[in-house]
Amino acid sequence: MSKDIIATIKENVIQGRKTQGDVGIDDSLAGTPGVVELLQQALKSNVSPQVIISEGLTAGMQVVGEKFSTKEYFIPDMLASAEAVGAAMDIMKPVLESANVETKGKFAIATVKGDIHDIGKNIVAILLKGAGYEVHDLGIDVPTEKVVEFVKEEKPGYLGLSALLTTTMTEMGVVIKALEENKLRSSVKVLIGGAAVSEEFAQEIGADAYCVNAFDAVKVLEGY
Amino acid sequence: MLVIGENINASNKSVAEAITKRDEGFLVNLAKAQTLSGADFIDVNAGGGYGSLQEATAAIKWLVGIIQAAVEQPLSIDSDSPEVIEAALKEYHGERLIINSVTAEPARLESIGPLVAERKAWVIALAMGTDGIPDRVEERLTACERIMSYLTGLGVKAEQVLFDPLVLPIAVDTRQGMVTLKTIEQIKLRYPEARVVMGLSNISYGLPKRKLVNRAFLLMAAYAGLDAVIVDPLDNKAMSLIKVADMLVGKDSSCRTYLRAHRKGNIVD
Repeated sequence: MSKDIIATIKENVIQGRKTQGDVGIDDSLAGTPGVVELLQQALKSNVSPQVIISEGLTAGMQVVGEKFSTKEYFIPDMLASAEAVGAAMDIMKPVLESANVETKGKFAIATVKGDIHDIGKNIVAILLKGAGYEVHDLGIDVPTEKVVEFVKEEKPGYLGLSALLTTTMTEMGVVIKALEENKLRSSVKVLIGGAAVSEEFAQEIGADAYCVNAFDAVKVLEGY
Repeated sequence: MLVIGENINASNKSVAEAITKRDEGFLVNLAKAQTLSGADFIDVNAGGGYGSLQEATAAIKWLVGIIQAAVEQPLSIDSDSPEVIEAALKEYHGERLIINSVTAEPARLESIGPLVAERKAWVIALAMGTDGIPDRVEERLTACERIMSYLTGLGVKAEQVLFDPLVLPIAVDTRQGMVTLKTIEQIKLRYPEARVVMGLSNISYGLPKRKLVNRAFLLMAAYAGLDAVIVDPLDNKAMSLIKVADMLVGKDSSCRTYLRAHRKGNIVD
C-alpha cells in the first residue's frame, strides 16, 4: 500500500500534477488524485515523511531533471512539477518539524545587487526546497551587506548567487570578497548560476561551484 | 479554442463533386482526417444550386448520415436554407451539435430558433439582419441583441450561442479589421456566457499571401476574446497558431496543450 502510494506520488510529480484537477504531461493520470491529495492520504496512513520525500518527491524531480536536460521537458513542465513538490513540502513542513526531522541544511539564495531577474533563482529555490533543504530566499537586487549580514546571523551552509547580466555578475565577486573580509567565507559554500556566468568565471571570483541549471544545483549540493 | 472543421463544404469543388456522385469514401476520409487533426466539430454543408428542395434535402441527409456513422465528432449542420437544416436534423442523432446559422432576419430566426430550442443545440448567430452585413460595430451589436432576445424567449441559454462578428475584406475597407475586433470585444462584454466564433479566410480576400494575413488576424481576434474558429484543420500552421493563441492569452495552463502538440511533432512555424 505505502509503496504504491509513493510510486503514485512520484508519477504525479513527473506528470506535474499538483491536484486532481490538473492536466498532466499526458493523459495517463487524468482525473486521478494529484500530489497534494495523495500526500494527505499517505500522511493519514502514517507513511514516513522521509520516505515520501526521498522516494516520492525527490525521485520524481530527478526524473524531471533528466527529461529537462534531454529537452523532452520544457520550463513550464518543470515549473508544474516543482510547484507540485513545493505544495507538498508546505504541507509537510509542520509534520517534519514536529517529528524533529533535520533538513539537509540551510540554503540562502539571492539575485545580486543591480539585477532584478528572478525566474532562475525561484526555480532553484523551489527545487532545493523539494530536495529537503531549508531555503531562505533573500530576493532580487540584494545589497552585498544584506547577504553578509544574513550569513553572519543565520549561518547558512550554502549560499546561491544569481545574475543574468554581464553587468551585474561582477557583484558576485564583490559578495565573496565581503565574506572574506568578514571572516565568513569558510563557513559557507558559495554556488553561482545565471545566464551570464560560467565555470571559468566561478573560478576567477573564487566561488565553490558553478551550476548550469537548477537541477545541477541539486546535484552539486548532493556532492558536499 | 474550439475548432470547427470547414472542409466538407460544397463550395469546395471536389466536395461538391463527391456529393453529386455520392462518393462516400472521399467524404468520410475528409471527416476522419479533420478529426485526427484536432477538429472539435465537423461542419457539413451540401451547398445550394439543386433543382428542387427535395434534391437538396436528399443530399444533406445522405451527407449527414455517412459522416455521423464514420466519426464520433459532433457535426455542425450548415446551410442557408432552414428547410435543409430541418431535414438534416431529422437525420442527425447526435446529442451535441451546432446549427449553422441564424441571423437577426425575422423569418430565419422564427424557423431556426425553435430547432435550436428543441434540440438544445448550439447555434452560430451571424451579427447581421435583413440588409446584409453591417459595416459598423453598433449595427452588428443590434443584430446580436435581436437574436439573443428572441432565442432567450424560446428558452435558449447564452451558452448555446456562438456569435459570429462577421469579417469583411480588409482589401475593400481598411477599417473592417477593427470593426470585427471591436464587435468581438463588445459581444464578450455584453454576453459573457456566449461564445464568439469566426471564419478565418474572409479578412484576406483580394490580397496576396492570404494565409499570413489570416493568421495575424486570428491572433488579434484571440486577444479580443475569440472562443472558436471555423478553419481547415489540415492546415497545420493554422492549427499550431491556434494553440499559440490560446497559450498567449492565458487559456493553456502550464502551456500543456502547446507542449503536448509539440511533443507529437504537430507544432510547425
